[in-house]
Amino acid sequence: MNQKKHSPRLLMMGNDAIARGALEAGIQIASGYPGTPSSEIIENLSRSAAERNIYVEWSTNEKVAAEVAAAASFAGLRSLCVMKQNGVNVASDFLLHLAHSGTRGGMVLVSCDDPGALSSVNEGDSRPFARLLEVPLLEPGDFQEAKDMTRWAFELSEEIRNFVFLRSVTRMSHASGCVTAGDLPEKARRPAFRHKGFLLDPDSGPVISLLPGVPELKHGPQQEKLRKAAKLFEKSSFNTYKGPEKPDLLIITSSACSLYSREAVHLLGLEDRVGILKMGTTWPLPPELMKRHLTAPDRILIVEEVLPFLEENVKILAAEAAAELGIKTFYGKKSGHIPSVGELNPDVVISALRKILGLPADDSTADFLKKAGAIAASAAPHRELTFCPGCPHRASYWSIHNAIELDGREGFVCGDIGCYTLGFLPCGFGTLKTIHSMGSGTGIASGFGQIRRFEMDQPILAVCGDSTFFHAAIPALINAVHHRSPVTIIVLDNRGTAMTGFQPHPGLDVSVMGEPAVDIDMAEICRSLGARVEIRDPFDLEETERTLKLMMEETDGARVLILRQACSLSPEKKGRKLFEVTVDESVCIGENCGCNRLCTRIFRCPGLLWDGQKKTARIDEVICTGCGVCAGICPSGAITKKEARV
Amino acid sequence: MRLFGPTELLSDVIEKDLCSGCGGCVEICPYFRSYRGKTAMLFPCNLEKGSCYACCPKAEVDLDALSMRFFGKPFDGSPLGHHLSVQVSRAGKKIGNRGFQAGGTVSALMAFALMEGIVEAAVLTDRDQLMPIPRLARDPSEVFQCASSKYAAAPTLSAFNRAVRDGAGRIGIVATPCQATSIALFRSNQLQKPDFRDPASMIIGLFCTWALDYRAFRNFLSGKINLSGIRKVDVPPPPAEVMEIFDDRGKWEIPLGEVRELVLPSCSFCPDMTAEFSDLSVGVLEGHPDLNTLVIRTERGMEIVSRARKEGFLFTEDIPEENLKHLTWAAANKKKRAIAKIKSEGLFNTDGERRSIFRFSEKTAGKILDGEEEK
Repeated sequence: MNQKKHSPRLLMMGNDAIARGALEAGIQIASGYPGTPSSEIIENLSRSAAERNIYVEWSTNEKVAAEVAAAASFAGLRSLCVMKQNGVNVASDFLLHLAHSGTRGGMVLVSCDDPGALSSVNEGDSRPFARLLEVPLLEPGDFQEAKDMTRWAFELSEEIRNFVFLRSVTRMSHASGCVTAGDLPEKARRPAFRHKGFLLDPDSGPVISLLPGVPELKHGPQQEKLRKAAKLFEKSSFNTYKGPEKPDLLIITSSACSLYSREAVHLLGLEDRVGILKMGTTWPLPPELMKRHLTAPDRILIVEEVLPFLEENVKILAAEAAAELGIKTFYGKKSGHIPSVGELNPDVVISALRKILGLPADDSTADFLKKAGAIAASAAPHRELTFCPGCPHRASYWSIHNAIELDGREGFVCGDIGCYTLGFLPCGFGTLKTIHSMGSGTGIASGFGQIRRFEMDQPILAVCGDSTFFHAAIPALINAVHHRSPVTIIVLDNRGTAMTGFQPHPGLDVSVMGEPAVDIDMAEICRSLGARVEIRDPFDLEETERTLKLMMEETDGARVLILRQACSLSPEKKGRKLFEVTVDESVCIGENCGCNRLCTRIFRCPGLLWDGQKKTARIDEVICTGCGVCAGICPSGAITKKEARV
Repeated sequence: MRLFGPTELLSDVIEKDLCSGCGGCVEICPYFRSYRGKTAMLFPCNLEKGSCYACCPKAEVDLDALSMRFFGKPFDGSPLGHHLSVQVSRAGKKIGNRGFQAGGTVSALMAFALMEGIVEAAVLTDRDQLMPIPRLARDPSEVFQCASSKYAAAPTLSAFNRAVRDGAGRIGIVATPCQATSIALFRSNQLQKPDFRDPASMIIGLFCTWALDYRAFRNFLSGKINLSGIRKVDVPPPPAEVMEIFDDRGKWEIPLGEVRELVLPSCSFCPDMTAEFSDLSVGVLEGHPDLNTLVIRTERGMEIVSRARKEGFLFTEDIPEENLKHLTWAAANKKKRAIAKIKSEGLFNTDGERRSIFRFSEKTAGKILDGEEEK
C-alpha cells in the first residue's frame, strides 16, 4: 500500500484501491465512522498513517467525521471522509451546508452502499444525496477505476471548489481485482486556514454556508460548480462505450452493475446487438455524451441497483432532447425488468435481456438448479442468524427477557443498530420490539416513556451499544433525563465497535492510529446528566435480572444500566477461555419434563450441541469460548464450569 | 385425569387469570417462575404433557380420582371434606405463648414434627413487608419466625419443588387449599415417573376464603401506610368487616369491602375453604381469636396430633356444636358459589376438546348446588 513508485499489477480489494487512490492524491487527513462495507478504507489508511504522516481517525459519528475532513480542506489539505450509506444520512445535515460553503483543499466523501442490505439494517441508496447536495457523483466500475477515480476525485474537487461524492457498493468494496498503483506524492502540503479576506472570497474569506436572504451569493455559485463538473464529465475517461455503432439495445449502467451487464451480454453472445455505456460520472450526467449514445438505439435498458437514479436522470435528459432524439423505449425498474430491491447479478440482467429482445427462455440450467436446491436443502445444516458463542448480548438478552416476563406488564425494548439488533430474533429471545437508526431506540423509548402518563403501564426499555451510545444515543438520553421520561436505558457495552471489526470508540483509551486517547467514561456522563446508573456484568445472570426488575419498577425519570462485558471476539478475549465447561451426561435431563432442552432449544449458544442419539447436551469444544453462562441456566446442574488453566 | 402440557397451562390458567400463584408449577423446570405473586412462563415449551399442568390446582383436576387416591372414596362434596374429627386446639405448654396470631396450632405441630424427625424440612411462608416469601425450614425456631397470617397469594410450593429437586425426603408443608390440592396432584404422580417417591410426610392445610393479589395489595397500601414498618396483618372475625394492619405508627383499619376488590379472580372459582387434601386443616375458631379449629383428616394426621398432645406441644378439646355448625355453613356456601360459577363459565365436566377446572360426578355437583343456605 505504501509502495512509493509506480508498481506492477497488484491484487487489491476495492476498499484498498480507494485507500491507495487517496494516498496517491496526497491526503493528509482521513476520517470516518465504521460501517460495513466501508470500514477497511480507514483501517487501511491507519496502517499507513505513520509512514505517510497522515492523520486518521474514527470519529464519533459520520457527521463529525465530515466536519473533521472539511476542516482539513478549509486549511488547504486534501482529506477523505468515509462512511457506509446510512452514515450519509447522519452526515447529511452538515454536508448540505458544506456543499454551499464549498471546500478548498480537495475533499472526497466515500459512501459504500450495501444493496441487498447484506450487512445493514435497511437497504438504501446514497446516490440521490448527490442530487440533493448538488455535488458531483462518481461510481467506479472496476478496481483499477476505484483507485484512479479516487485520485482524480481530489483534482475534480479542487477544480470546482466543492467536495466530490464517490459511491462504492459491497461487491466493489469487498471483491478484489488487479490494480496498477501509481506514484505517491513526495511532499506534503502545509496547512493554513485563511479567513481574513473578503466575505465572498473562496480562498481567503470566512467559510460560511449561506448569507441570509441572498441565497444566490452561495447557492448560485454552487450550482455553477455543478455545471462545470458536467462539462468536465463530457470528456471523462471513466465513461466508456463498448458495442456496435448502432446497437439494437443500449445498456446504460454504472458501478458493479457494469460488470454484471458485460457478463450477461457475453454469455448471451449479444456483443454485436447490444452496446454497453458504462458511466463513471453519474451525476450530473454529461448531456452531450448521453445524447450521442442515445441517438442510434431505439431501446434503452438501464441496469443499476436499488433506486432508479440513473434511469430517471437519463429519462429527463431524453425528454429534454426529445426533438433531436425522437421516441425511445426505456427498460429498467419502472418497466419491471430490473428489480428495485436487492443486489443484481448477471442472471437478472440476462433475464431482462431475454425478455426485451424476445430471446427464448433458457431452461438448460433449470434441472441443475432444482437438483442443487434439493441437495442444499437436505445436506446443508440449517443455520440461522445468531450471536457468536460466548456473546455477552445473548446473556444480556436472557436477563432482559426474563426480567420483562417476570415483571408481567408487557414491557418492551426499543433497539437500534449493532450486533444486538439480532435481539428481535430467537437468538435474542425476541426481545427487541422497535429497530431503527443509530441511537433511535433511546429516543423512541424517551417518547414511549411520556405516553405512560396516559395510563400505559408497560415498562419501557431501550438498548444501545457502547459505540452507538457516543454516536447518537446521548442527545436522546439527555432528552429522556431532562423530561423525566420513566425509562430504563441499557448500554450493551462490549468494549469496542464490535460488529464492524473492533474499531475503537470514544470510550476506549487508544485511537485507530494506536495513539493514546482520552477514554470517556459513559457512566460518568450519565451520572452527570442526573440519571441513576448501575453497572453489571451480563454474565452474572441473577444479579443482572434482579437489578433490571427493580429498575423497571421505578417510575420517576430515566435510569441507565451498563451491561459491561467484552465481545467474545475482542482481541483481549480471543482464544482465551475463562472456564472449562462440561456437560455431565448422566445428569442432563435432555428433552424430558423439567428441562426440555433449555440450553440447545432456547438459549442456543452455538457452543452447545444436542446429541440426538444420547439425548443429552454436549459442549462443542472447538467453538466454546468458556464464558460459563450456560452453567447458570442449566436447571439440573448438568453443565458445570471450572476455571480454565491459562 | 386428562393430562396436558405447558402450552395449555398458559392458555387455560395463566392467560385466563385463573392462576392463584400457588407455585405448584414453579421450580420444577426453568420455564415457569413466580415474581411478586405472579406466575410467568418465560419461554415456550412444546411438551404435550408436563408436571406443570399435572400439578396445577386449576387445570383438569379430577376430584373423584384425587379423593379416591387419598381417602379411598369419590369426592362427596361435603362442606368440610373428608375428615375423622374436628377439634378446638392451641399450642401446648411446651411451646408457650409466643404471641401467635391465633392458637399457634400450626407452628406447634410443625415444630413438633421437625423435632421428632417426622419431617426433615418444612415448607412455610415467610413475609418481607407485605410480600409472602416461600421458605424451607429445617429448625423449629425457623417455624416460629414464619408464624402469622399472610393475606396475599404466595408461591409457597416453589420451595416444596425446590426441596424435592434438592433431594429432601420427608417434607412437611403448610398449605392453603389450592396449594394442598396441588400437592395432592403432585403425590398422585400422574406422569407415572418410575423413580417417583412421595416426599410429603405431613400436610397442614390452612382455612382460606380468599387471597389477595400481592401487587394490587401493595399498590393499594403504598402511600397509605409505611410498608417497611408492617408488623402484622389481621382480619378479625365478623361483625368487624375490616382488615387491621399494624405498622410502626399504629393500627390501620381498611374496610373489607375495599380489600375484597384486591382478591385474586381465581379465588372465586375455589370450592375449598378448609384445604380438604391435607392431613390436618387449621383455622381460627370463630369468636375465640386465641384458639384454632383443627380438622383431622388422615390417620397419620391423627397420630401426629395425639403424639403432640401427649408430649405437651398441643392442647385440644371438643369443638362446640355452634362453631362446627357455622364452619360447615360457611364452607358449604363457598363450595356452592364456586361450583355455580365454574359451571356457568363452562369449566366443569366439559365434553370433547374443551378443558375443565374440575371434574367430579354431576350428582355430587347437584348435591352441592341444592344445599340449603341456612345459618
